[in-house]
Amino acid sequence: MDLSYGPEYEEFRREVRAFLDAHKSVAPPAAIGLEGSPQVRDWQKRLVDGGYASRTVPRQYGGFGAKPDLLQNIIIDEEFRRAGVSRGMANQGISMFVPTLLQYGNEDQKLRYIGPTIRGEMIWCQGYSEPGSGSDLASLKTSAVLDGDEFVINGQKIWTSTAREAQMMFALVRTEPDAPKHEGISYLLVDMKAPGLTIRPLVMMTGHAGFNEVFFDNVRVPRENLIGRRGQGWEVGKATLIHERNMLGAADQTENSYIRCVDVLRDFGVLDNAVYRDRLMKIAARTYAMKFHSMRMLTDRLKKRPPDAAALIMKLNGCQLNHDIAKLAIDAMAETGTLKRGSRHVRADGAWQNEYMFQLGLIIGGGTAQIQKNIISEIGLGMPREPKAARGASR
Amino acid sequence: MDFGLSDDQTLFQSSLRGFLGEKVPTGRVRTIMESASGHDASLVQQLGEQGVTGILVPAEYGGTGLSLLDAAVAAEELGRAAVPYSFHAAAVLAPLLLAASSNEARKSEWLPRIAEGRATLGAIVAGPEVRDGRLSGSASFVPDAAVASAFVVRCGSGPSAQFHVVPRTASGLRVEALSTIDDTRRVGEVFFDGVAVDAGTNLEIADASAGFERALDAARIVLAADSLGAAERSLDEAVKYALTREQFGRVIGSFQAVKHMCAEVFAEIEPLRSLLWYAAFAWDERRDDAPMMAALLKSHACEAATEATTTCVQVYGGMGFTYECDMQLWFKRAGYNRQMLGSPAALRELAAARMS
Ligand SMILES: Cc1cc2nc3c(=O)[nH]c(=O)nc-3n(C[C@H](O)[C@H](O)[C@H](O)COP(=O)(O)OP(=O)(O)OC[C@H]3O[C@@H](n4cnc5c(N)ncnc54)[C@H](O)[C@@H]3O)c2cc1C
Repeated sequence: MDLSYGPEYEEFRREVRAFLDAHKSVAPPAAIGLEGSPQVRDWQKRLVDGGYASRTVPRQYGGFGAKPDLLQNIIIDEEFRRAGVSRGMANQGISMFVPTLLQYGNEDQKLRYIGPTIRGEMIWCQGYSEPGSGSDLASLKTSAVLDGDEFVINGQKIWTSTAREAQMMFALVRTEPDAPKHEGISYLLVDMKAPGLTIRPLVMMTGHAGFNEVFFDNVRVPRENLIGRRGQGWEVGKATLIHERNMLGAADQTENSYIRCVDVLRDFGVLDNAVYRDRLMKIAARTYAMKFHSMRMLTDRLKKRPPDAAALIMKLNGCQLNHDIAKLAIDAMAETGTLKRGSRHVRADGAWQNEYMFQLGLIIGGGTAQIQKNIISEIGLGMPREPKAARGASR
Repeated sequence: MDFGLSDDQTLFQSSLRGFLGEKVPTGRVRTIMESASGHDASLVQQLGEQGVTGILVPAEYGGTGLSLLDAAVAAEELGRAAVPYSFHAAAVLAPLLLAASSNEARKSEWLPRIAEGRATLGAIVAGPEVRDGRLSGSASFVPDAAVASAFVVRCGSGPSAQFHVVPRTASGLRVEALSTIDDTRRVGEVFFDGVAVDAGTNLEIADASAGFERALDAARIVLAADSLGAAERSLDEAVKYALTREQFGRVIGSFQAVKHMCAEVFAEIEPLRSLLWYAAFAWDERRDDAPMMAALLKSHACEAATEATTTCVQVYGGMGFTYECDMQLWFKRAGYNRQMLGSPAALRELAAARMS
């Protein structure tokens, strides 16, 4: 056991600190919106150029071209957190689509999309779920038929986060209707301005219109927008989902949230109350357990050991824990905990109330808790698939 | 950066698991736990040969003088195998207190015998008082009370506390057995009726109250490890059973209700293991957060293990509720660990107090 990073990394830490000192004055507040203001986009560019966002994306695609180094990433996280400075935009394009494209895209596609995406100029949405295909994603029906040099798309997507802000969608569509369920899917990029595409906002329980329905009525997409081969979409799409799960339930965010929750309990004078202390310590134990658990996973990755079953629980536990932390914080606020953003008496402009609701969404999104448990029991514990589910794997 | 067990520790773990699997199968566990004393001196000697009893005994006294993280690895295996042995007391509390002592005579009397597995010492954490060179009072829940060769007795509390080593045969000392839900670790009540103590029995521990808290935290950490072992083993057994038992024409392990029970236990146990490693490491390194982590760990491990073993008994259905089924061993073991040296609620309170 050795939790130190060694001298060369401490040197790197000094570099990060120097960058932060030099740029802190222009950094936007830690939580930033999705498309971002000009200030946010300016910040995003500085981060990309400095190598503090999309660090390992090759230079020819507009990245910094650093060798993958997990410890450097951790140090960047630590120092940015300590300085209270935003790590830049974390949207589906940057965290999920770019890594997928690097793996499966051709040279033209990489040159075209990666640069603008990581600089925050191009926003993406994920067109996977359909009204009839959620957990059983591979049953999706939205069709894409090749007509000359274009795919013609018909069908509907649902729960599409940020569809209205996005310029582009990465979508799963059925291109081979006669192939078995998993082999008939392709991964296509769709321009959100294409004729025949309409978006209808869906209001989330938080009151925000965070996700949408997207309808395709003979939407034409050039053939070159296909990522990977025809019929390879399930494989490509699953790669994106792995990146999504790595993002959801990440332990450093949970620890931040726990630390802020302690402050809330203190502010509301319940930190010395036995019942609250008891609840807080239960959460503290789970938070630290997940923190050290992610260090254990990190060590496995550093040592190039294949991920073991224990890695499968990060999303399940992390999302549930985030929700429980928010619940404790709003409980400590008593009636004040019910107030929404903009109300008189509201604390932190309703951030915890929003969190309390939004984190519940993340327990469902990206694969529900129940689906995660299926995966853990099947892959982690070697238990059999449900006879019915055996015909079509869930997401 | 290297978070996890070293190669040596992994090797120690697998060889101890192999040894216990072969020499202490649940059949032997049952024979020992059903015996009157619940104690098998030959088992303790075998554990001595495996380096288990002397793991925290300094090398100059015949032990291996390893770290608490090593002890936690051992404790997890003892819990997995439900070994009838009070590791947390006999191999952790007693030797750590002895090792902190400056009384050379007592150290060289007991430490080598502990390391070899030829003596078991009970540890008394509260109860008796010294007046005019005599001990009076009583202590309950004393591990191995009926079979210990001697007791390390904490007399009084706070900075003025003294620690004496009192042989079980001392005049004025009387033991009565208590029977708990867990027959694999026996406890008793020890009565002191004017037992003579003097400079020869006094351990002379410098900074006694800090030293004692530290030893107690170590014992809590290994009890947590024992609970983790019990929980893991229950899950292993439950999954195995679920893959063979059939109902409605299919193995019960193909029912999602059963799969989810097992997945939940797994998801609870794995981060606990990471927390255990960190807490033991923090203790070894005397990190600032070590006292808080010890308390958090023990409370969390005991909650998780009681939950896990409760769930795993249910995977077995009615079979799980029989005396014959081994699930009872780990269920009861987790129940014992839960209450000893601080219940989950008490330790959460302690952790909060230790939170900076
Ligand atoms: C906040 C949020 C944002 C989202 N953003 C996007 C997005 O940007 N793009 C996108 O494509 N999708 C998005 N989604 C959709 C999300 O991926 C799906 O909601 C999710 O995969 C579940 O599918 P479903 O809603 O159809 O539920 P269903 O699949 O209908 O599930 C309903 C219930 O049945 C259970 N269930 C279903 N199948 C099984 C099974 N085999 N075993 C056990 N239980 C089962 C589920 O666990 C759940 O409890 C988002 C969802 C949320 C909540």
